[in-house]
Amino acid sequence: MGHETYFYFKQTGRNLQQSWGTQLMTLFTVSMSILIFTFFFLVYTNIIKAGDRFGDELRLIVYLDDEVVPEMRPQIKKKITDYSPVEKIVFVSRDEAFHRLNVQLGQEGDVLNDLGAGFLPPSIEVFPKKDLKNLTLIKQFSDYLTTLPGAQKVQFGQGWVERFGYFTELLRVIVFLSGGLLVMATAFMVSYSIRLTVIEKEAELEVLRLVGARSSYIQTPLLIEGFLQGLLSSGIGLGMLYLIFLWTKTHLSGPGFLHLLDITFFPPVTTGIIMGMSILLCTGGSLVSIRKYLRI
Amino acid sequence: MLETYPADRPLVEIVKVTKVYSPDIVALQNISLSVAKGELLFLTGRSGAGKTTLLKLICCVEKPNKGVIEIAGKDLNKLSSPNIQALRRETGVAYQDFKILPRQTVYRNIAIAMEVNYTAAKVIKKRIDELLDVLKLTHKRNIPAGKLSRGEQQRVAIARAAATKPPLILADEPTGNLDPAMSLQVMGLFEKLNEGGSTIIIATHDETLYKNNRYRKVDLHYGQFATQSTLPGFLPPANGNQQKLI
Ligand SMILES: Nc1ncnc2c1ncn2[C@@H]1O[C@H](COP(=O)(O)OP(=O)(O)OP(=O)(O)O)[C@@H](O)[C@H]1O
Ligand SMILES: [Mg+2]
Repeated sequence: MGHETYFYFKQTGRNLQQSWGTQLMTLFTVSMSILIFTFFFLVYTNIIKAGDRFGDELRLIVYLDDEVVPEMRPQIKKKITDYSPVEKIVFVSRDEAFHRLNVQLGQEGDVLNDLGAGFLPPSIEVFPKKDLKNLTLIKQFSDYLTTLPGAQKVQFGQGWVERFGYFTELLRVIVFLSGGLLVMATAFMVSYSIRLTVIEKEAELEVLRLVGARSSYIQTPLLIEGFLQGLLSSGIGLGMLYLIFLWTKTHLSGPGFLHLLDITFFPPVTTGIIMGMSILLCTGGSLVSIRKYLRI
Repeated sequence: MLETYPADRPLVEIVKVTKVYSPDIVALQNISLSVAKGELLFLTGRSGAGKTTLLKLICCVEKPNKGVIEIAGKDLNKLSSPNIQALRRETGVAYQDFKILPRQTVYRNIAIAMEVNYTAAKVIKKRIDELLDVLKLTHKRNIPAGKLSRGEQQRVAIARAAATKPPLILADEPTGNLDPAMSLQVMGLFEKLNEGGSTIIIATHDETLYKNNRYRKVDLHYGQFATQSTLPGFLPPANGNQQKLI
């Protein structure tokens, strides 16, 4: 029975030889879909990662009317953490704020001398937990913080967070849409090429049935075909994505804004999962259309 | 499953079988026939008598409307598809309309019957070369079968039926397109296979094929058996029911 595998591959070879036009078209369509999907997916993951990095700097600043006396601090901390656990809370006094600004301004710090240390309001800096990414949650938290006694106003770079939130939302939708496109294109092309194979080989399939070919003898080569389609097209799609990635990295990174993004490729596990899913999709598509068109 | 079937029982047992094609063409009517294991049987009858229909029933290409067909003791009506596939692998059929693949080479057309058994390529090559030699087709080995003459195509169909030396061979009008010398050659091949243990049923109206030999003939006449010759040379099976007449 060791010959079985040999025959399956021989028959697969014959199938491919007889319908290479269709096979190439399928390969092209599926690898393009994979490229489109993985492209948006890669952009998405990189944006999310960049968001994480910015998120480290996300803080809600509660400007106060008056300094918080040290005895009050635990009470205020408790009030804040009662609402939501936080990374840390920093109390900034008037002096502290003045000192920080002085450091930031460096040599031009002279201008502050006239103003005196009292002109900046004291504040509480609240660093939310990392999982507090969602824009609405941050807004709610900020609304809550305005109810703290003595709070004047809460700031967290609303505009930026908001835009970033919408952007990732949009990307998420695009990733889902292109994922759906990938699934549909693959299912359609694989089933189309199997149907063509079946039509082209109708006479041969009839003879195979007449000489008593087992169902597995007829089906396995078509499954191998689907497997190869999945392997090759995901390989090609991901390969092209990697080339695009390399090009972008060498041409767009460097000093400046994009350097912040510091784009990275999928880790090997993700690459493996994408290839695995593509193979599964193509083989599964084959299986379904074999059942549909062969009626064995 | 056919090979190991005891030799003293009928390999093919047809009991009161009726086959009606829609709407109301009665191809076979209430016929019974036993074919012993190792027998070579001629199925004769005029055109339209039902010879092809009977062979198609035996290889499960058609189903009877009434009656039972047993091959090696198995009721064909009750066989699962894997079992039908297995039965077909053990039955070599040379169809009247050949059923060959016109775009494939002669070699591949014959090999297909052996490949479904996962036979090693070397064995396939040896057997095919042998058959091509007997059937005088060696020089056509790598030519697409569609380019061959009718007589050559017929021999390809015969070669495919004989390729695995199957325990049961059904040949439908195997010499219809052959000259007398070639017919003799084909008959020689069948006899040799029969000596090797194959049970063979040949449907034909070629008198030269069945006249003056020791094999049993059954004559179909409008879907019924007219006459059956007894065979001096062949021992009837133990239960002797192969002599059944309509
Ligand atoms: N698929 C079919 N549909 C309808 N009628 C059919 C079909 N196949 C055969 N018949 C009819 O059944 C009868 C028997 O046909 P069959 O092919 O078995 O005859 P035969 O003995 O093989 O004839 P021949 O010697 O010409 O090959 C004929 O009347 C034929 O027209
Ligand atoms: Mg006929």
